[in-house]
Amino acid sequence: MDATVGIPPAVTAETEAFWTAAGQGRLLVERCSACAARSFPPYGICRVCRSRDVAPVEITGEGRIYSLTVNHQRWMPGLEVPYALVLVEFPDHPGVRVFGRLRGCPPQEAVIGMTVDIGFEPGPGGQAIPSFVARVPAGTVDPRPRRAPVSQPAGARRQERG
Amino acid sequence: MGTELLERRAVISGVGQSEIGRQIDRSGFQLTLDAVLAAIADAGLTVDDIDGLAMFPGGGKANLPGYANGNLYEIQDALRMTTRWRQGIVEGMCLPFYGPAMAVATGEARHVVIWRTVKEGSAARNAGGRPAYGSTNPVAEGPLAWLLPVGALSPVLQIAPYAARYQHEYGVTREQLGWIPVTQRAHAALNPDAVYRTPLSLDDYLAARMISTPICLYDCDVPADGATAIVISAADTAAGLRAPVSIEAMAGVVDGRPSWEQWEDMGRVGYATAAAMWNRTQLRPADVDVAQLYDGFTIEVVWWLEAMGFCEPGEAGAFVEGGQRIALDGELPLNTWGGQLSGGRLHAAFGHVAEAVRQLRGEAGARQVAGAQVAAVTSVGGYEAGAALLTAWSG
Ligand SMILES: [Zn+2]
Repeated sequence: MDATVGIPPAVTAETEAFWTAAGQGRLLVERCSACAARSFPPYGICRVCRSRDVAPVEITGEGRIYSLTVNHQRWMPGLEVPYALVLVEFPDHPGVRVFGRLRGCPPQEAVIGMTVDIGFEPGPGGQAIPSFVARVPAGTVDPRPRRAPVSQPAGARRQERG
Repeated sequence: MGTELLERRAVISGVGQSEIGRQIDRSGFQLTLDAVLAAIADAGLTVDDIDGLAMFPGGGKANLPGYANGNLYEIQDALRMTTRWRQGIVEGMCLPFYGPAMAVATGEARHVVIWRTVKEGSAARNAGGRPAYGSTNPVAEGPLAWLLPVGALSPVLQIAPYAARYQHEYGVTREQLGWIPVTQRAHAALNPDAVYRTPLSLDDYLAARMISTPICLYDCDVPADGATAIVISAADTAAGLRAPVSIEAMAGVVDGRPSWEQWEDMGRVGYATAAAMWNRTQLRPADVDVAQLYDGFTIEVVWWLEAMGFCEPGEAGAFVEGGQRIALDGELPLNTWGGQLSGGRLHAAFGHVAEAVRQLRGEAGARQVAGAQVAAVTSVGGYEAGAALLTAWSG
């Protein structure tokens, strides 16, 4: 599967470190010197305490698929389909979620809750893009329970008409 | 309610549309003029009464491929007008009439026209298919840098993971959700201006090709050509208007992370907006006679049904199953013009507002919901949400 057909990112003062590290296979987020929180995408400010004293830091360890989609539509000439896109969160790094492609299993076998490793692959314009690698066999389901209904604002429920 | 409800000082006085279709072989500028002039006449006003102009979107986005608003100043010049208030925006467009309502409520203007013109049907044809989002740009700027390079080349791929997550958490099925496009197609059959009017069955829906799981072809709205204009007037001009409609309440809250891929749970996108809106009225969900809920995708209707309190979280699948509740004679007639799924992607709830106004006036023809007095209108574009209640004019 080739992921090089597409639109490359504009690299900015805020994102240059991320994209440079991506080319080296490393995932950078911003770490706050004041409160140690991780923020992503990089804005040059901590999203938790709003300190400006932040610096790029590599994160490692397993990620977990929050959700995914398998794209079948050829949006651009030459685009290879199907491919899975995954929203990945990191148990050890709360507050960080990264969108990327998925490798390591057929796209239709990817499921919510699946464990993935951090990875990158060649993307558009010679820029490496996040491309996670499925680690565990397909069929791993999200261990989190289905959520209970949450209360609505008072009186906002639809009542049966009399 | 200690704060004054400024929206009560504004009314929707006119709606107008150009011809609407998959492809209309006229310029966006002419379609805009058609809609603007029709809306002004519909309000019972003349061009000389209008002192405010607005369009969505404005700025550099006004004329992206398929976006055909034209230039606000050229429209003003062509119509030989004087304006006291103008607006062309992208951010903050929670509802088409939100900014204009504030303008007339605060006395900045008396009668404002806002329009939205699309030629996305023609743009898709010319591109040989629905083009990739942002594909005319050499690089992905700003938030698109986290979407386009990895292959999220369309809003379909941006919303699809949240649709999948919603289905995962609540066990809602495609067999249930399919009743939304199926029922809306039945409504479109009664709307001569709808783009698709031929019957759609649940089997048709289930057999449709996947665009990006779990979103199939019929879960996506229809790229279309056409213009919609809405006139907003100061409420104290009502005596001179043909058929005004009241704005009971409106709100637009962005509370989660305003990002397609960072939003914590896009299934909750309308909750804060709906809560803020219900706080501005004594009316309750049970009082709503007709609902025009934004439907860029089927799943957005699902989320609005729950956010607005028409059903409990996670229960929208059961609510729409079979289609009876959301039919014209049901408990909550939904997207009575066909919605964007069948009526065409007029975008930003312009089509939804136009239909709500027609329903509340009793001018919706064969699809009229008898005695409609209260209409809900919602809009959403990713994280930007808006909700309003409109009511029939009572003087
Ligand atoms: Zn901090």
